[in-house]
Amino acid sequence: MSNSRARESAVEESSILQARGLTKQVVSGERNLTILDDLDLDVSRGESVAILGSSGAGKSTLLGLLAGLDTPSGGELTLFGASLGALDEDGRAALRAGRVGFVFQNFQLLPTLTALENVLLPLELVPGRDHPQRAREWLARVGLGERLDHLPKQLSGGEQQRVAVARAFVTEPELVFADEPTGNLDRDTGGAIIDLLFALNREAGTTLVLVTHDPHLARRCDRCLRLDAGRLIALRPDEVQA
Amino acid sequence: MTHWLALSLKGLRRDLRAGDVRALFVALALAVAATTMIGFFLDRLDRGLTRQAGQLTGGDIKLEQGEPFDDALRASLREAGLTLSDQVDMVSMVSRSDAFQLASLKVVDAAYPLYGEVRVDRGDGVEALARGPEPGGVWIAPRLAQLLDVTLGETVRVGASELAVTGLIEREPDQSAGFSAFSPRLMMRRTDLEATGLVRPGSRIEYELLAKGPPGAVAAVSATLERLAAQGVRVVDVRDDRPQLGSALERADKYLSLAGLAAVLLAGVAVAMATRRYVDRHLDTAALLRCFGASQRKLATLFAWQLLWLALAASVAGALLGMAGQAALLALLSRFLPLELPPPGVLPLLLGVLTALAVLVGFAGPTLLRLKRVSALKVLRRELDPLPAAAWLVVAVAGLVFGALLWLYSGDPALAATLLVGGLVALALLWGLGWLLLGLMLRAVKAFGGGERQGGWVRAVRLGGSQLARRRRASLGQLLAFAVTFAAMAIITLVRGDLLTTWQTQLPADTPNFFAINIQPAEREGFVELLDAVADTRTALYPMVRGRITAIDGRSPEAAVPEDSRGDNALRRELNLTWQTEVPEGNRVVAGEWFAADAGQAGGDGPVPISLESGLAARLGVGLGDTLSFTIGSERVTGRITSLRDLDWDSFRPNFYVIFPPGVLERYGHSYLTAFHLDAAAHGDVLARLVRAYPGVSLLNVDAILGRVRELLDQVTRAVELVLAFVLLAGVSVLYAALTASHAQRAHESGLLRVFGAGGRLISRVQGVEFALLGLTSGLMAALLTELAAFGLYHWLALPPRLHGLLWLVLPLGGALLIGAIGHGLSRGVRRQAPVTSLGLLGEG
Repeated sequence: MSNSRARESAVEESSILQARGLTKQVVSGERNLTILDDLDLDVSRGESVAILGSSGAGKSTLLGLLAGLDTPSGGELTLFGASLGALDEDGRAALRAGRVGFVFQNFQLLPTLTALENVLLPLELVPGRDHPQRAREWLARVGLGERLDHLPKQLSGGEQQRVAVARAFVTEPELVFADEPTGNLDRDTGGAIIDLLFALNREAGTTLVLVTHDPHLARRCDRCLRLDAGRLIALRPDEVQA
Repeated sequence: MTHWLALSLKGLRRDLRAGDVRALFVALALAVAATTMIGFFLDRLDRGLTRQAGQLTGGDIKLEQGEPFDDALRASLREAGLTLSDQVDMVSMVSRSDAFQLASLKVVDAAYPLYGEVRVDRGDGVEALARGPEPGGVWIAPRLAQLLDVTLGETVRVGASELAVTGLIEREPDQSAGFSAFSPRLMMRRTDLEATGLVRPGSRIEYELLAKGPPGAVAAVSATLERLAAQGVRVVDVRDDRPQLGSALERADKYLSLAGLAAVLLAGVAVAMATRRYVDRHLDTAALLRCFGASQRKLATLFAWQLLWLALAASVAGALLGMAGQAALLALLSRFLPLELPPPGVLPLLLGVLTALAVLVGFAGPTLLRLKRVSALKVLRRELDPLPAAAWLVVAVAGLVFGALLWLYSGDPALAATLLVGGLVALALLWGLGWLLLGLMLRAVKAFGGGERQGGWVRAVRLGGSQLARRRRASLGQLLAFAVTFAAMAIITLVRGDLLTTWQTQLPADTPNFFAINIQPAEREGFVELLDAVADTRTALYPMVRGRITAIDGRSPEAAVPEDSRGDNALRRELNLTWQTEVPEGNRVVAGEWFAADAGQAGGDGPVPISLESGLAARLGVGLGDTLSFTIGSERVTGRITSLRDLDWDSFRPNFYVIFPPGVLERYGHSYLTAFHLDAAAHGDVLARLVRAYPGVSLLNVDAILGRVRELLDQVTRAVELVLAFVLLAGVSVLYAALTASHAQRAHESGLLRVFGAGGRLISRVQGVEFALLGLTSGLMAALLTELAAFGLYHWLALPPRLHGLLWLVLPLGGALLIGAIGHGLSRGVRRQAPVTSLGLLGEG
């Protein structure tokens, strides 16, 4: 689907992502463990939302559900106006194609692919001729225009995450999920990555859902939520602290 | 679709940077190379042999009978697309002034020879001509010229005709007449036959109709041939009647097929090992692509295409290598194979590509299915790997595919099934044995140096051994792969050695190259004395009486034998009968008992015990207890079969279908026969002496045939060596694939050891020990597997079975050294990495 058409359809609906009564239970040993408990969430187009939580609170589980990578035990999820519950795994994948970007804590770059090829990967899922050009442009925008042919292992951690950011934005998605994007980086490098992430997000008008345990990072989002005991609690800016 | 094709191609190109894809490529290419090379070669060998058999026979089909063939038959054969040549064979007196000599006449037509060329000297040295003599002329053997004292241009009398000698025959293309054509050759034209007046009622004449044509034409007349055989016409079809020296070639043929299969099996093991790593590595790719929106079907399509491209690229590379290999094989065998070779067929090529795909599907398929099942959630939670393919499923699918390949190559479903079931049982056995061995190893290394000795090596052995033994499941996979690899390499090497030994002993340097026949009883002692003085070796002197089988169990032979044996040569000609006290050298009694030395002197009118060659017994449909009656001169002798013998027709010794005990045949006219070896340099001189002293004795030189057989064995030996090299190469590809597959895990381990404070030296030793133990254990298992497999294979190749004691030493030690050295060498890079890198390599950040 072309992005312009996607945006047109999105105008009619201000909510890009919606969760109602979202529940996730897993079987651990002999007992049922409830990770997410009757959780509600609305994300509007263009806003940036941070989900804070301590380690093991279920942040990544929530992110997986919101992105349609996993299925909930109960509740309703709507992404781009489509109910995820009505779609099978392939249907959910098709919904994501070209419209959702990801930035992961551990970068998730493929070790045998060059920086350019890693950025090309999501583009290549749809036919098109200008892919390499677009990928080069995005790598230039994240400051790696000179390192196109480097393999991940030849790049520093910060550089690797920049490649991952370029890859997240190269399809000009409507929604970007970021999972602890600075978790593997030192404070300075992490800060630079966050600056980049928010700058690109602003320029492209993308919606950003960011999962982190870092209050400094969370504070830069329009809205902060804390995941606690399986539910989301809205935080005022002054409540967001280390 | 094209988008996905292009994408898969792009992905493959990028993937070639990874060791596992290179290992996959190498393994598949080797499988294709081995099968195409051997396929091409066997295809051509087969065609070469058929052609050579055709040449020796004189045509693709030969019909023989005592009267002329009718024109209706000729017409029907021509209609089927066959080219015909008529020939008449007879023995007649040839003379010049007062010299008379019995000659073997070969009367040919204008179409002669259908195959090959006659090497003849017409006064300007020996030349090769694709025709017989002109009308009015005869070509004769040099010995006949010598006996009649005639030279080129002079005439000889054949029957009522005077014919000019226009050529001396050095070699005829169709030498199948063999040892029965004892009289020297005279070749003349059919148009001159009538004038000689030799064709009269009652004269012993053999009419031959030779036919040549494409296989389809030959097959088209098979019904006609069957009918003719039933009518008593002797039918030789070269596709069925291969040259006598088939056994060596048959073994070589089987060996090559076996080696090809071994290479395919090894390649399969390599593919299986490389695939595990390939899949592990691509789980991340697959998960990411799922994340980016690719459906399961698209993922499956993408990877399927990617592997298909890989298989095709490997097929092309393998086919090129195979073509080069078969060209090398052909170069080695060029002197044996006919000059005009048809271009390499497409079939072996298709078979090669099919093999690559089959190996990929069979050895990689179940493992590859994991890629499709990967969850997108894996990008967030690394531990979410799809379950590895069940071991039984991997083995079962690989076994089925390999079984199908076995069937395809051997054309023998029973053999394929036996090998497959045997292989799976052996594998299960090895699995259990490996499990036990690893358990024992764990205990052994714990006990090792448990006291105060804690030196570097002791610690390395304890660490390396327990690492290996604790990862039991992963280690077992590698153990089995290496054991199968070593066993396949060992079997192919062993069989090669025994094959070559068998061939070498088959025709030792002093194999008789001359036969002396028609030695009269009075000449016997003198001839032997002279022969012993000049010849290097000789066989015993065999008495020989000629007799014809005239009754089987009291009935006429035609009525007693199976329908298709009615035209059998043994019924239509006089057989050479002999008497012996002991079983002659090279003969083995396979049924019944050899008669007592005095069994023939018992007197009485009852049948005497005789020993019959087992092949003839089978053809005539007779066995122990049946009687055969022979007419010798005007008398009749009846024998009861009391033993059956196998004999080695390839041995170049005098061989007899029927052997009597002493005391029965002595009263009939008989002569003696022997075979001896003369040094090539001494030929002329010694022969002249023998011929002068015993003009009545016929000497038959088989140097030409012998030389050809030797040359053939020599060249087949070299072909076998080349194929062995290929199998060894395939074995190395397994090692490469296995070590590539475990690279990441080893990097992780050595990184951890380093983090815990181990020095580079200790890590190096630990890895060395681990690889060496792996090699040692798999070597032990391979020795067991080799013995088991060799036992069955030797039976199949008709080689005497034996135990290979050395194997139990060489395989474990060789395995320890080889895997220890290669593994240690290949892991050098891993050891040099800083722990951060080696741990990071796993992407566990």
